[in-house]
Amino acid sequence: MEYVSPEGLRLDGRRPMEMRQIRGEIGAVAKADGSAVFEMGNTKVIAAVYGPREVQNRSQQMNDQALVRCEYSMANFSTGDRMRKPKGDRRSTEISLVIRQTMEACILTHLLPRSQIDIFVQVLQADGGTRSACINAATLALADAGIPMRDLVTSCSAGYLNSTALLDLNYVEDSAGGPDVTVGFLPKLDKVTLLQMDAKLPLDIFENVMQLATEGCKAVANYIREILLENTKQLESRRGL
Amino acid sequence: MGLPNVSGDFSSEMDVDAFRRLFPLRFYERHLVESIRPDARPLGRARDTTLALGAVTSTDGSALAKIGLTTMLAAIKMEVMTPSIETPDEGCIAIDFHMPPICSPLVRPGRPAEAEPVVSKQLCDTILSSGMINMKELSLISGKAAWMAYLDIYCLDADGALFDAALLSAVAAFSHLQIPVVSMNDDGRVVIISEEHQEGKDPVNKEKRKLTLSSIPFSLTSILHKKYILADPTAEEESIMDTLVTVVLDSSGRLVSLYKPGGTVLAYTSAIQDCIALTRQRVKELRNILDEAVSGMEVD
Repeated sequence: MEYVSPEGLRLDGRRPMEMRQIRGEIGAVAKADGSAVFEMGNTKVIAAVYGPREVQNRSQQMNDQALVRCEYSMANFSTGDRMRKPKGDRRSTEISLVIRQTMEACILTHLLPRSQIDIFVQVLQADGGTRSACINAATLALADAGIPMRDLVTSCSAGYLNSTALLDLNYVEDSAGGPDVTVGFLPKLDKVTLLQMDAKLPLDIFENVMQLATEGCKAVANYIREILLENTKQLESRRGL
Repeated sequence: MGLPNVSGDFSSEMDVDAFRRLFPLRFYERHLVESIRPDARPLGRARDTTLALGAVTSTDGSALAKIGLTTMLAAIKMEVMTPSIETPDEGCIAIDFHMPPICSPLVRPGRPAEAEPVVSKQLCDTILSSGMINMKELSLISGKAAWMAYLDIYCLDADGALFDAALLSAVAAFSHLQIPVVSMNDDGRVVIISEEHQEGKDPVNKEKRKLTLSSIPFSLTSILHKKYILADPTAEEESIMDTLVTVVLDSSGRLVSLYKPGGTVLAYTSAIQDCIALTRQRVKELRNILDEAVSGMEVD
Protein backbone atom coordinates (compact mmCIF):
# COMPACT_ATOMS: atom_id res chain seq x y z
CA MET A 1 0.00 0.00 0.00
CA GLU A 2 1.24 3.46 -0.79
CA TYR A 3 1.59 5.67 2.22
CA VAL A 4 3.34 8.51 0.42
CA SER A 5 2.09 9.40 -3.06
CA PRO A 6 4.59 10.22 -5.80
CA GLU A 7 3.73 13.92 -5.37
CA GLY A 8 4.83 13.62 -1.76
CA LEU A 9 1.42 13.64 -0.05
CA ARG A 10 0.39 11.25 2.71
CA LEU A 11 -2.94 9.48 3.06
CA ASP A 12 -4.56 12.40 4.85
CA GLY A 13 -3.06 15.03 2.57
CA ARG A 14 -0.17 16.08 4.80
CA ARG A 15 3.43 16.56 3.72
CA PRO A 16 5.94 14.11 5.28
CA MET A 17 7.28 16.66 7.74
CA GLU A 18 3.91 18.11 8.68
CA MET A 19 2.31 17.49 12.06
CA ARG A 20 -1.42 17.08 12.58
CA GLN A 21 -3.37 19.96 13.99
CA ILE A 22 -2.86 20.23 17.74
CA ARG A 23 -5.18 21.83 20.25
CA GLY A 24 -4.80 22.07 24.00
CA GLU A 25 -7.08 23.40 26.71
CA ILE A 26 -6.44 23.83 30.43
CA GLY A 27 -8.95 23.32 33.21
CA ALA A 28 -11.34 20.81 31.66
CA VAL A 29 -12.09 18.95 34.91
CA ALA A 30 -13.16 21.32 37.65
CA LYS A 31 -12.77 18.80 40.46
CA ALA A 32 -9.12 18.10 39.70
CA ASP A 33 -6.19 20.13 40.98
CA GLY A 34 -4.96 20.42 37.42
CA SER A 35 -6.43 19.15 34.17
CA ALA A 36 -6.08 19.50 30.43
CA VAL A 37 -7.48 18.24 27.15
CA PHE A 38 -5.01 17.66 24.33
CA GLU A 39 -5.85 16.82 20.72
CA MET A 40 -3.42 15.75 18.00
CA GLY A 41 -5.50 15.39 14.84
CA ASN A 42 -8.27 12.93 15.73
CA THR A 43 -6.56 11.66 18.87
CA LYS A 44 -8.23 13.23 21.89
CA VAL A 45 -6.96 12.76 25.42
CA ILE A 46 -7.99 14.21 28.79
CA ALA A 47 -5.53 14.33 31.71
CA ALA A 48 -6.23 15.13 35.35
CA VAL A 49 -3.71 15.64 38.15
CA TYR A 50 -4.59 15.22 41.82
CA GLY A 51 -1.91 16.32 44.21
CA PRO A 52 0.16 16.87 46.08
CA ARG A 53 -2.02 15.10 48.58
CA GLU A 54 -1.68 12.60 51.40
CA VAL A 55 -0.31 9.20 50.42
CA GLN A 56 -3.18 6.71 50.30
CA ASN A 57 -1.08 3.65 50.99
CA ARG A 58 1.08 4.46 54.03
CA SER A 59 3.55 1.70 53.27
CA GLN A 60 4.51 3.39 50.00
CA GLN A 61 5.19 6.76 51.56
CA MET A 62 8.68 8.13 50.91
CA ASN A 63 10.17 10.48 53.46
CA ASP A 64 12.36 12.47 51.12
CA GLN A 65 10.31 12.78 47.96
CA ALA A 66 6.84 12.64 46.48
CA LEU A 67 5.25 9.45 45.13
CA VAL A 68 4.11 9.77 41.54
CA ARG A 69 1.34 7.49 40.28
CA CYS A 70 -0.05 7.30 36.79
CA GLU A 71 -2.95 5.46 35.19
CA TYR A 72 -3.64 5.31 31.47
CA SER A 73 -7.00 4.05 30.29
CA MET A 74 -8.84 4.11 27.01
CA ALA A 75 -12.58 4.64 26.69
CA ASN A 76 -14.48 1.65 25.31
CA PHE A 77 -15.48 3.64 22.25
CA SER A 78 -12.10 5.24 21.58
CA THR A 79 -10.92 2.79 18.96
CA GLY A 80 -12.61 1.55 15.78
CA ASP A 81 -13.98 -1.66 17.32
CA ARG A 82 -15.31 -1.49 20.81
CA MET A 83 -12.68 -2.56 23.32
CA ARG A 84 -13.53 -5.24 25.84
CA LYS A 85 -10.89 -4.46 28.46
CA PRO A 86 -9.90 -0.82 28.45
CA LYS A 87 -7.47 -0.96 31.35
CA GLY A 88 -5.47 -3.60 33.09
CA ASP A 89 -4.39 -5.09 29.77
CA ARG A 90 -0.70 -5.22 28.95
CA ARG A 91 -0.57 -2.23 26.63
CA SER A 92 -2.29 0.08 29.11
CA THR A 93 -0.04 -1.06 31.95
CA GLU A 94 3.05 -0.48 29.83
CA ILE A 95 1.97 3.00 28.76
CA SER A 96 1.07 3.89 32.36
CA LEU A 97 4.58 2.95 33.40
CA VAL A 98 6.15 4.89 30.53
CA ILE A 99 4.19 8.05 31.31
CA ARG A 100 4.92 7.78 35.03
CA GLN A 101 8.65 7.42 34.55
CA THR A 102 8.75 10.21 32.00
CA MET A 103 6.92 12.68 34.21
CA GLU A 104 8.70 11.56 37.38
CA ALA A 105 12.01 12.47 35.82
CA CYS A 106 11.04 16.09 35.47
CA ILE A 107 8.86 16.72 38.55
CA LEU A 108 10.90 18.16 41.44
CA THR A 109 9.78 15.42 43.79
CA HIS A 110 12.22 16.32 46.56
CA LEU A 111 10.28 19.54 47.15
CA LEU A 112 7.14 17.61 48.16
CA PRO A 113 8.19 14.82 50.53
CA ARG A 114 5.66 12.41 52.04
CA SER A 115 3.03 13.31 49.47
CA GLN A 116 1.48 11.74 46.41
CA ILE A 117 0.92 13.11 42.94
CA ASP A 118 -1.63 11.23 40.81
CA ILE A 119 -1.70 11.64 37.05
CA PHE A 120 -4.75 10.09 35.34
CA VAL A 121 -5.02 10.02 31.59
CA GLN A 122 -8.15 8.98 29.70
CA VAL A 123 -8.15 8.49 25.94
CA LEU A 124 -11.47 9.56 24.40
CA GLN A 125 -10.55 9.07 20.74
CA ALA A 126 -7.56 7.11 19.49
CA ASP A 127 -6.06 7.72 16.05
CA GLY A 128 -2.36 7.00 16.55
CA GLY A 129 0.10 8.85 18.76
CA THR A 130 -1.89 8.32 21.97
CA ARG A 131 1.29 7.99 24.00
CA SER A 132 2.53 11.39 22.83
CA ALA A 133 -0.82 13.08 23.29
CA CYS A 134 -1.00 11.69 26.84
CA ILE A 135 2.42 13.03 27.77
CA ASN A 136 1.59 16.46 26.35
CA ALA A 137 -1.74 16.53 28.17
CA ALA A 138 -0.05 15.42 31.41
CA THR A 139 2.47 18.27 31.12
CA LEU A 140 -0.31 20.82 30.73
CA ALA A 141 -2.26 19.31 33.63
CA LEU A 142 0.80 19.32 35.92
CA ALA A 143 1.46 22.96 35.04
CA ASP A 144 -2.20 23.77 35.77
CA ALA A 145 -1.88 22.05 39.16
CA GLY A 146 1.12 24.20 39.99
CA ILE A 147 3.44 21.25 40.57
CA PRO A 148 7.11 22.31 40.32
CA MET A 149 8.86 20.81 37.31
CA ARG A 150 12.34 21.04 35.85
CA ASP A 151 10.99 21.71 32.37
CA LEU A 152 8.00 20.96 30.14
CA VAL A 153 7.93 17.45 28.71
CA THR A 154 6.66 17.23 25.17
CA SER A 155 6.38 14.21 22.97
CA CYS A 156 5.93 13.39 19.32
CA SER A 157 6.25 10.32 17.13
CA ALA A 158 7.83 9.75 13.74
CA GLY A 159 8.12 6.81 11.36
CA TYR A 160 9.67 5.64 8.11
CA LEU A 161 7.44 4.39 5.27
CA ASN A 162 8.01 4.21 1.52
CA SER A 163 11.59 5.40 2.12
CA THR A 164 10.39 8.68 3.60
CA ALA A 165 10.62 9.87 7.17
CA LEU A 166 7.11 10.82 8.34
CA LEU A 167 6.25 13.03 11.31
CA ASP A 168 3.32 12.33 13.65
CA LEU A 169 1.86 9.05 12.43
CA ASN A 170 -1.86 8.44 12.53
CA TYR A 171 -3.44 5.02 13.15
CA VAL A 172 -3.32 3.81 9.55
CA GLU A 173 0.36 4.72 9.14
CA ASP A 174 1.17 3.29 12.56
CA SER A 175 -0.40 -0.09 11.76
CA ALA A 176 1.48 -0.31 8.46
CA GLY A 177 4.19 -2.31 10.21
CA GLY A 178 6.99 0.19 9.71
CA PRO A 179 9.12 1.60 12.52
CA ASP A 180 7.53 3.96 15.01
CA VAL A 181 9.85 6.19 17.04
CA THR A 182 8.38 8.06 20.02
CA VAL A 183 10.49 10.78 21.61
CA GLY A 184 9.89 12.59 24.90
CA PHE A 185 11.83 15.81 25.06
CA LEU A 186 12.68 18.57 27.55
CA PRO A 187 12.89 21.66 25.31
CA LYS A 188 14.72 24.16 27.55
CA LEU A 189 17.27 21.66 28.82
CA ASP A 190 17.53 20.14 25.33
CA LYS A 191 17.47 16.60 26.71
CA VAL A 192 15.68 13.44 25.65
CA THR A 193 13.77 11.71 28.45
CA LEU A 194 11.82 9.08 26.52
CA LEU A 195 12.89 7.16 23.43
CA GLN A 196 11.00 4.14 22.16
CA MET A 197 11.09 2.36 18.86
CA ASP A 198 9.85 -0.89 17.42
CA ALA A 199 10.66 -2.62 14.11
CA LYS A 200 14.04 -2.39 12.39
CA LEU A 201 15.88 0.65 11.07
CA PRO A 202 19.42 1.19 9.85
CA LEU A 203 21.29 3.46 12.24
CA ASP A 204 21.74 6.49 9.99
CA ILE A 205 18.06 6.54 9.03
CA PHE A 206 17.19 6.15 12.69
CA GLU A 207 19.14 9.31 13.55
CA ASN A 208 17.21 11.15 10.86
CA VAL A 209 13.83 9.95 12.10
CA MET A 210 14.71 10.72 15.71
CA GLN A 211 15.80 14.22 14.74
CA LEU A 212 12.47 14.71 12.98
CA ALA A 213 10.54 13.60 16.05
CA THR A 214 12.61 15.95 18.20
CA GLU A 215 11.72 18.86 15.93
CA GLY A 216 8.07 17.88 16.34
CA CYS A 217 8.51 17.96 20.12
CA LYS A 218 9.97 21.46 19.94
CA ALA A 219 6.98 22.64 17.90
CA VAL A 220 4.58 21.15 20.47
CA ALA A 221 6.59 22.82 23.24
CA ASN A 222 6.16 26.23 21.63
CA TYR A 223 2.43 25.67 21.38
CA ILE A 224 2.18 24.51 25.00
CA ARG A 225 4.15 27.52 26.17
CA GLU A 226 1.69 29.80 24.36
CA ILE A 227 -1.27 28.13 26.02
CA LEU A 228 0.28 28.44 29.47
CA LEU A 229 1.10 32.10 28.87
CA GLU A 230 -2.47 32.78 27.73
CA ASN A 231 -3.80 30.97 30.79
CA THR A 232 -1.60 33.00 33.14
CA LYS A 233 -2.75 36.24 31.53
CA GLN A 234 -6.37 35.23 32.10
CA LEU A 235 -5.67 34.37 35.74
CA GLU A 236 -3.95 37.71 36.17
CA SER A 237 -6.88 39.64 34.76
CA ARG A 238 -9.33 37.66 36.90
CA ARG A 239 -7.41 38.54 40.02
CA GLY A 240 -7.36 42.15 38.96
CA LEU A 241 -3.62 42.47 38.56
CA MET B 1 -28.46 36.20 61.78
CA GLY B 2 -30.80 34.91 64.44
CA LEU B 3 -29.36 31.45 65.11
CA PRO B 4 -28.82 30.59 68.78
CA ASN B 5 -25.25 30.67 70.07
CA VAL B 6 -24.20 27.07 70.61
CA SER B 7 -21.28 27.05 73.02
CA GLY B 8 -19.46 29.85 71.27
CA ASP B 9 -20.50 30.90 67.80
CA PHE B 10 -17.21 31.15 65.94
CA SER B 11 -18.66 32.37 62.70
CA SER B 12 -18.04 36.02 63.39
CA GLU B 13 -14.40 35.43 64.27
CA MET B 14 -13.51 33.01 61.52
CA ASP B 15 -12.88 33.10 57.77
CA VAL B 16 -15.89 32.08 55.69
CA ASP B 17 -13.95 29.29 53.97
CA ALA B 18 -12.77 27.87 57.26
CA PHE B 19 -16.31 27.94 58.65
CA ARG B 20 -17.55 26.20 55.52
CA ARG B 21 -15.00 23.42 55.97
CA LEU B 22 -15.33 22.95 59.72
CA PHE B 23 -19.08 23.33 60.21
CA PRO B 24 -20.58 22.55 56.79
CA LEU B 25 -24.06 21.78 58.07
CA ARG B 26 -24.36 25.05 59.98
CA PHE B 27 -22.98 26.92 56.99
CA TYR B 28 -25.71 25.46 54.80
CA GLU B 29 -28.47 25.98 57.33
CA ARG B 30 -27.56 29.63 57.57
CA HIS B 31 -28.30 29.83 53.85
CA LEU B 32 -31.39 27.61 53.82
CA VAL B 33 -33.12 29.85 56.37
CA GLU B 34 -32.94 32.60 53.75
CA SER B 35 -34.19 30.15 51.07
CA ILE B 36 -31.00 30.32 49.11
CA ARG B 37 -27.89 28.19 48.59
CA PRO B 38 -24.20 29.17 48.67
CA ASP B 39 -24.04 29.32 44.88
CA ALA B 40 -26.95 31.80 44.91
CA ARG B 41 -29.51 29.36 43.55
CA PRO B 42 -33.05 29.29 44.95
CA LEU B 43 -33.86 25.92 46.52
CA GLY B 44 -35.90 24.54 43.64
CA ARG B 45 -33.66 25.53 40.76
CA ALA B 46 -31.28 23.22 38.93
CA ARG B 47 -27.86 24.30 37.67
CA ASP B 48 -27.15 25.46 34.12
CA THR B 49 -27.46 22.53 31.75
CA THR B 50 -25.83 22.21 28.33
CA LEU B 51 -25.89 19.44 25.73
CA ALA B 52 -23.54 18.88 22.81
CA LEU B 53 -24.43 16.10 20.37
CA GLY B 54 -21.84 14.29 18.29
CA ALA B 55 -18.96 14.89 20.67
CA VAL B 56 -17.08 11.72 19.60
CA THR B 57 -16.93 11.45 15.83
CA SER B 58 -15.74 7.84 15.61
CA THR B 59 -18.94 6.45 17.16
CA ASP B 60 -22.46 5.93 15.84
CA GLY B 61 -24.05 8.30 18.34
CA SER B 62 -22.63 10.41 21.14
CA ALA B 63 -23.42 13.30 23.44
CA LEU B 64 -21.71 15.41 26.10
CA ALA B 65 -23.99 16.62 28.89
CA LYS B 66 -23.06 19.15 31.57
CA ILE B 67 -25.20 19.98 34.57
CA GLY B 68 -23.29 22.71 36.40
CA LEU B 69 -19.79 21.21 36.65
CA THR B 70 -20.88 17.56 36.39
CA THR B 71 -19.83 16.32 32.95
CA MET B 72 -20.90 13.08 31.28
CA LEU B 73 -19.81 11.75 27.90
CA ALA B 74 -22.07 9.07 26.39
CA ALA B 75 -21.25 7.15 23.21
CA ILE B 76 -23.00 4.33 21.37
CA LYS B 77 -21.32 1.70 19.20
CA MET B 78 -23.42 -0.69 17.16
CA GLU B 79 -22.46 -4.27 16.44
CA VAL B 80 -24.29 -7.01 14.59
CA MET B 81 -25.20 -10.12 16.56
CA THR B 82 -27.54 -13.11 16.34
CA PRO B 83 -30.73 -12.51 18.27
CA SER B 84 -31.79 -14.96 20.96
CA ILE B 85 -34.24 -17.73 20.13
CA GLU B 86 -37.02 -16.36 22.36
CA THR B 87 -36.94 -12.94 20.70
CA PRO B 88 -35.87 -13.39 17.08
CA ASP B 89 -37.19 -9.96 16.09
CA GLU B 90 -35.53 -7.86 18.71
CA GLY B 91 -32.13 -6.29 19.18
CA CYS B 92 -30.39 -5.59 22.45
CA ILE B 93 -28.90 -2.69 24.42
CA ALA B 94 -25.97 -2.96 26.84
CA ILE B 95 -25.52 0.01 29.17
CA ASP B 96 -22.31 0.65 31.08
CA PHE B 97 -21.44 3.54 33.38
CA HIS B 98 -17.83 4.30 34.22
CA MET B 99 -16.25 6.68 36.72
CA PRO B 100 -12.59 6.96 35.75
CA PRO B 101 -10.22 8.37 38.38
CA ILE B 102 -10.07 11.73 36.58
CA CYS B 103 -13.57 12.61 37.66
CA SER B 104 -13.12 12.97 41.39
CA PRO B 105 -10.42 13.02 44.06
CA LEU B 106 -12.32 10.28 45.90
CA VAL B 107 -12.01 7.68 43.14
CA ARG B 108 -8.92 5.50 43.48
CA PRO B 109 -7.52 3.63 40.51
CA GLY B 110 -8.13 -0.08 40.72
CA ARG B 111 -11.13 0.31 42.96
CA PRO B 112 -14.43 1.35 41.33
CA ALA B 113 -16.24 4.22 43.01
CA GLU B 114 -19.17 3.34 45.26
CA ALA B 115 -21.59 5.22 43.07
CA GLU B 116 -20.50 3.47 39.87
CA PRO B 117 -22.42 0.18 39.97
CA VAL B 118 -25.40 1.88 41.64
CA VAL B 119 -25.83 4.49 38.90
CA SER B 120 -25.11 1.83 36.28
CA LYS B 121 -27.95 -0.38 37.50
CA GLN B 122 -30.31 2.58 37.92
CA LEU B 123 -29.62 3.71 34.36
CA CYS B 124 -30.10 0.24 32.95
CA ASP B 125 -33.42 -0.23 34.73
CA THR B 126 -34.73 3.22 33.87
CA ILE B 127 -33.84 3.18 30.18
CA LEU B 128 -35.08 -0.35 29.54
CA SER B 129 -38.27 -0.03 31.54
CA SER B 130 -39.26 3.39 30.22
CA GLY B 131 -39.89 1.87 26.81
CA MET B 132 -38.03 4.69 25.10
CA ILE B 133 -36.53 2.32 22.55
CA ASN B 134 -38.54 -0.19 20.60
CA MET B 135 -36.31 -3.27 20.40
CA LYS B 136 -37.98 -4.37 17.19
CA GLU B 137 -36.41 -1.36 15.47
CA LEU B 138 -33.04 -2.87 16.19
CA SER B 139 -33.76 -5.99 14.21
CA LEU B 140 -32.17 -6.61 10.79
CA ILE B 141 -33.06 -10.08 9.52
CA SER B 142 -35.54 -11.94 11.67
CA GLY B 143 -33.86 -14.78 13.51
CA LYS B 144 -30.46 -14.22 11.91
CA ALA B 145 -29.13 -10.73 12.57
CA ALA B 146 -29.95 -7.90 14.93
CA TRP B 147 -28.21 -4.87 16.37
CA MET B 148 -26.46 -4.82 19.71
CA ALA B 149 -26.10 -1.22 20.88
CA TYR B 150 -23.29 -0.71 23.40
CA LEU B 151 -23.88 2.48 25.35
CA ASP B 152 -20.87 3.62 27.39
CA ILE B 153 -21.17 6.62 29.66
CA TYR B 154 -18.02 8.14 31.12
CA CYS B 155 -18.13 10.61 33.97
CA LEU B 156 -15.48 13.26 33.27
CA ASP B 157 -16.23 15.44 36.29
CA ALA B 158 -18.28 14.37 39.33
CA ASP B 159 -19.98 17.27 41.08
CA GLY B 160 -23.27 15.79 42.29
CA ALA B 161 -26.46 14.64 40.53
CA LEU B 162 -24.57 11.95 38.60
CA PHE B 163 -27.68 9.98 37.66
CA ASP B 164 -29.43 13.04 36.18
CA ALA B 165 -26.49 13.97 33.98
CA ALA B 166 -25.90 10.37 32.94
CA LEU B 167 -29.54 9.83 31.95
CA LEU B 168 -29.57 13.10 30.01
CA SER B 169 -26.41 12.19 28.11
CA ALA B 170 -27.75 8.67 27.38
CA VAL B 171 -31.03 10.02 26.03
CA ALA B 172 -29.19 12.62 23.93
CA ALA B 173 -26.83 9.98 22.53
CA PHE B 174 -29.82 7.86 21.46
CA SER B 175 -31.36 10.94 19.83
CA HIS B 176 -28.15 11.45 17.89
CA LEU B 177 -27.69 7.78 16.96
CA GLN B 178 -27.62 6.91 13.28
CA ILE B 179 -27.81 3.23 12.47
CA PRO B 180 -25.04 2.33 10.00
CA VAL B 181 -25.68 0.67 6.65
CA VAL B 182 -25.02 -3.06 6.44
CA SER B 183 -24.84 -5.66 3.74
CA MET B 184 -24.34 -9.41 3.43
CA ASN B 185 -20.82 -10.45 2.68
CA ASP B 186 -19.75 -13.59 0.86
CA ASP B 187 -19.85 -15.84 3.93
CA GLY B 188 -23.53 -15.04 4.37
CA ARG B 189 -22.74 -12.87 7.39
CA VAL B 190 -24.00 -9.38 7.83
CA VAL B 191 -21.23 -6.79 8.06
CA ILE B 192 -21.18 -3.06 8.51
CA ILE B 193 -20.01 -1.33 5.35
CA SER B 194 -18.18 1.92 5.72
CA GLU B 195 -19.03 4.76 3.42
CA GLU B 196 -16.16 4.20 1.00
CA HIS B 197 -16.82 0.55 0.24
CA GLN B 198 -20.30 0.48 -1.19
CA GLU B 199 -19.34 -1.17 -4.47
CA GLY B 200 -22.43 -2.95 -5.62
CA LYS B 201 -23.13 -4.98 -2.50
CA ASP B 202 -26.84 -4.83 -1.83
CA PRO B 203 -27.34 -3.15 1.47
CA VAL B 204 -29.74 -4.86 3.83
CA ASN B 205 -31.03 -1.54 5.08
CA LYS B 206 -31.04 1.22 2.53
CA GLU B 207 -29.77 4.24 4.36
CA LYS B 208 -28.67 5.48 7.72
CA ARG B 209 -31.69 6.03 9.87
CA LYS B 210 -32.41 7.27 13.35
CA LEU B 211 -34.36 5.49 16.04
CA THR B 212 -37.85 6.68 16.92
CA LEU B 213 -37.86 7.50 20.61
CA SER B 214 -41.16 7.44 22.45
CA SER B 215 -41.70 8.55 26.05
CA ILE B 216 -38.22 9.91 26.74
CA PRO B 217 -37.36 9.77 30.47
CA PHE B 218 -35.96 12.82 32.30
CA SER B 219 -34.97 12.95 35.93
CA LEU B 220 -34.30 15.23 38.84
CA THR B 221 -32.47 14.35 42.05
CA SER B 222 -33.36 16.31 45.18
CA ILE B 223 -32.08 16.32 48.72
CA LEU B 224 -34.41 16.34 51.72
CA HIS B 225 -33.07 18.08 54.78
CA LYS B 226 -35.36 18.87 57.73
CA LYS B 227 -38.18 20.71 56.02
CA TYR B 228 -36.19 21.88 52.96
CA ILE B 229 -36.05 20.33 49.53
CA LEU B 230 -32.94 21.16 47.51
CA ALA B 231 -33.11 20.37 43.80
CA ASP B 232 -30.02 19.24 41.86
CA PRO B 233 -27.40 18.95 44.61
CA THR B 234 -23.69 19.54 44.18
CA ALA B 235 -21.13 17.03 45.47
CA GLU B 236 -20.59 19.13 48.60
CA GLU B 237 -24.32 19.13 49.37
CA GLU B 238 -24.55 15.38 48.75
CA SER B 239 -21.69 14.71 51.15
CA ILE B 240 -23.20 16.55 54.11
CA MET B 241 -26.91 15.83 53.62
CA ASP B 242 -27.59 12.20 52.92
CA THR B 243 -31.24 11.82 51.97
CA LEU B 244 -31.61 11.78 48.20
CA VAL B 245 -34.78 11.32 46.18
CA THR B 246 -34.61 10.71 42.44
CA VAL B 247 -37.79 11.07 40.38
CA VAL B 248 -37.91 10.05 36.73
CA LEU B 249 -40.80 11.27 34.58
CA ASP B 250 -41.29 10.70 30.89
CA SER B 251 -42.09 13.39 28.38
CA SER B 252 -45.86 12.91 28.80
CA GLY B 253 -45.62 13.41 32.56
CA ARG B 254 -46.00 9.79 33.65
CA LEU B 255 -43.91 8.50 36.54
CA VAL B 256 -41.23 6.08 35.35
CA SER B 257 -39.23 5.64 38.53
CA LEU B 258 -39.06 6.87 42.10
CA TYR B 259 -35.92 6.14 44.07
CA LYS B 260 -35.34 6.97 47.73
CA PRO B 261 -32.57 4.75 49.08
CA GLY B 262 -32.93 5.29 52.84
CA GLY B 263 -31.41 8.34 54.50
CA THR B 264 -31.95 9.99 57.87
CA VAL B 265 -34.95 12.08 56.78
CA LEU B 266 -38.24 10.20 56.63
CA ALA B 267 -40.52 11.86 54.12
CA TYR B 268 -44.26 12.39 54.25
CA THR B 269 -46.22 11.99 51.02
CA SER B 270 -46.38 15.77 50.71
CA ALA B 271 -42.58 15.99 50.47
CA ILE B 272 -42.54 13.34 47.75
CA GLN B 273 -45.27 15.18 45.87
CA ASP B 274 -43.23 18.37 46.08
CA CYS B 275 -40.27 16.53 44.59
CA ILE B 276 -42.45 15.27 41.76
CA ALA B 277 -43.71 18.81 41.10
CA LEU B 278 -40.13 20.10 40.93
CA THR B 279 -39.28 17.29 38.53
CA ARG B 280 -42.24 18.16 36.33
CA GLN B 281 -40.88 21.68 35.90
CA ARG B 282 -37.40 20.38 35.22
CA VAL B 283 -38.70 17.98 32.57
CA LYS B 284 -40.03 20.94 30.59
CA GLU B 285 -36.63 22.65 30.74
CA LEU B 286 -34.77 19.49 29.73
CA ARG B 287 -37.12 18.79 26.82
CA ASN B 288 -36.46 22.25 25.46
CA ILE B 289 -32.71 21.80 25.80
CA LEU B 290 -32.82 18.40 24.09
CA ASP B 291 -35.05 19.65 21.25
CA GLU B 292 -32.78 22.62 20.65
CA ALA B 293 -29.69 20.41 20.54
CA VAL B 294 -31.32 17.93 18.13
CA SER B 295 -32.63 20.60 15.79
CA GLY B 296 -29.23 22.30 15.92
CA MET B 297 -27.67 19.11 14.57
CA GLU B 298 -30.25 18.68 11.84
CA VAL B 299 -29.62 22.10 10.41
CA ASP B 300 -26.07 21.03 9.55
